[in-house]
Amino acid sequence: MKLCLLFGLVGCFVLLMAQEHPPMVPPADPGVFTVKPTGPDAFKLIVKGHVFTSRGDIEKYLAYRAARLAIEKGGQWFTLKEERGAGEGVAPKRDSEGPRYSFRMKNFRPVWRFKSNGSPEWTRWSPFTGAPFLSADPKTISDFDVSAEIVVRKGPMDDADPLAFEAWALSDLLVNQVSPPK
Amino acid sequence: MSKSTLKFCWVALMAVAGAETAAAARWEKGYVVAFYDPAFRFGGRADYSRGTEIEPGVDCPHGSTVHFAVPAQVAQSLSLVRWRSPKEVEELANPPATGLNRDPAGVYFHTWRAASAYRGYNKAIETYINPFAAEDPGQPQVTSRIGEGFNLDGKVKPGDFVSPEGEKGVDNQLYRAWGCDAPWRGANGNGTLVLRSNDKMVEGLYTIVIRISGNKDPLNDDDATLEIGYSPDQIVKDARGNVGMDYSYRLLHSEQYTKLKARIKDGVAETEQADIHMPQIAWFENQTRDAFFRQGKIRVVPNADGTAAGLVGGYRDFRALYTQNAFAQSGGVQGVREHEDHVALYYALRRNADGMFNAKTGRYDGISSAYRMKLVPVFVVEPDRPMGIPSRESEARRRQAFDVTAAATIKAVDTLVPQEVPSGSGELAATDGIEIGPGGVPIRGRGGKGSGRNSAIPTKR
Repeated sequence: MKLCLLFGLVGCFVLLMAQEHPPMVPPADPGVFTVKPTGPDAFKLIVKGHVFTSRGDIEKYLAYRAARLAIEKGGQWFTLKEERGAGEGVAPKRDSEGPRYSFRMKNFRPVWRFKSNGSPEWTRWSPFTGAPFLSADPKTISDFDVSAEIVVRKGPMDDADPLAFEAWALSDLLVNQVSPPK
Repeated sequence: MSKSTLKFCWVALMAVAGAETAAAARWEKGYVVAFYDPAFRFGGRADYSRGTEIEPGVDCPHGSTVHFAVPAQVAQSLSLVRWRSPKEVEELANPPATGLNRDPAGVYFHTWRAASAYRGYNKAIETYINPFAAEDPGQPQVTSRIGEGFNLDGKVKPGDFVSPEGEKGVDNQLYRAWGCDAPWRGANGNGTLVLRSNDKMVEGLYTIVIRISGNKDPLNDDDATLEIGYSPDQIVKDARGNVGMDYSYRLLHSEQYTKLKARIKDGVAETEQADIHMPQIAWFENQTRDAFFRQGKIRVVPNADGTAAGLVGGYRDFRALYTQNAFAQSGGVQGVREHEDHVALYYALRRNADGMFNAKTGRYDGISSAYRMKLVPVFVVEPDRPMGIPSRESEARRRQAFDVTAAATIKAVDTLVPQEVPSGSGELAATDGIEIGPGGVPIRGRGGKGSGRNSAIPTKR
């Protein structure tokens, strides 16, 4: 009887702790996520892995880390610096009279590199070329990295900038959805 | 000294004494609030439309919001839901006029309100209770620089408004965020919810009164008092249907009552800056509650005809504003009927929040706001005996539905743990006999009020 009561109490405690704790994203293995300063308040973020799950999952993890980095650096929002090569189109236009957003996930478009079919060579894929996402069978991908350069911003957000992301709002949306790739 | 000189001196002394007595006499003015709306400055041209744009203007260049107004817009919103296929989105945006309702408009209404209620990152997450779990559909915002309100923080910042009188640094970010929202925007207070809430107020849903008093000159008194609060007395209308002058109203010292120090200058009363409790705007009984303004102020400007223009401002909790607007009925019913999207409104509130800094989270929990009041002169009196704000037994269920839904939303937003729709919530209630099933499926005639508890639901996809 006492044992039942004890188990019951422990169960209640565990349930209570599970309810009260905010959601957490599991820590990444060493080398999975790296940040390199590239200028004043500018950073290049790279997510690397070996097990390809889906484009969406991995890009969302990168976006989440970008949001968290902005918050850690004391910023309220960040802008994405698109990595467009020659002939890779133009950045989305600013519309100061259109709807305002805390973020537009469709505009978070990082650049990919991957190795597939046992090849030691990296293949680059840019979302701005118009080419399909993967030319290779995803199962044959042995290495990938996804990168984005951001600029951390402070103060009221420029919500008319199509490449602006409010850090807290993005983090709130993604915190329950992401985990680091392997 | 001659007799006539003595007489003159006596008269002069009496005149001075009399004047002093008059200046020192207690004075009192009372008002009942006859019209109450958010201080959103309309900049469009009434009854003018341009394509699908409704009354575009300097405040909102593309007019009022058209969320859930046309299939193309609905398709755009639902395309942000990752678990819906493009085909599904297209079908939901253009539902066939069969099945649910013989009225084609009803088909759109129920299909859209159901689909809009499930836009989270997984199918099980109800969106209006968990707005942070859906992507931001975007909200047209006010672009003009002129706005009503108060300089609440004493600063002049780039995003602040300039008042129509030229005062800089006006903090009214609620106007910035929600000023283009269709039900609150319109010329002369003709936004649909402005009209509806005022109609309900004048018909007896709630009454607000103001009493200004002092002991000096009623036009210039630096030590006056302004009281504002709930009255249990229904507004009395005159023979023309307007709010009548000179009736008597009791002012309750309830949780919706505040007494403030005020200064009267040339007849204009302006209070100190302090927390203000007074009734909030409501159009259903379940919304009638305290509008808690932090660092608030009130200004009363008299008009020549005895009426006055009132303005109350302060920082309001974004969670109170969101739940007040969303859950009088249900988020979907309100959104589709009023052409507003509460997910967009939620993000706009958080993005523009500028007060009530929460050191624990590092975020602002409040947004600066201002509300207009048209005031009609009345007598404001004390109740015979102390009394609380009366509650209506018949509305207890609806009030509870609001409370449990708001509590679940606040818990979800604060913890980021998506919450189930609580039992008894208005989000589960049938509208026209149609409920919403998980995943945003309209279900006809299942009956009952649904089930569920205010608890966490699986968060991972």
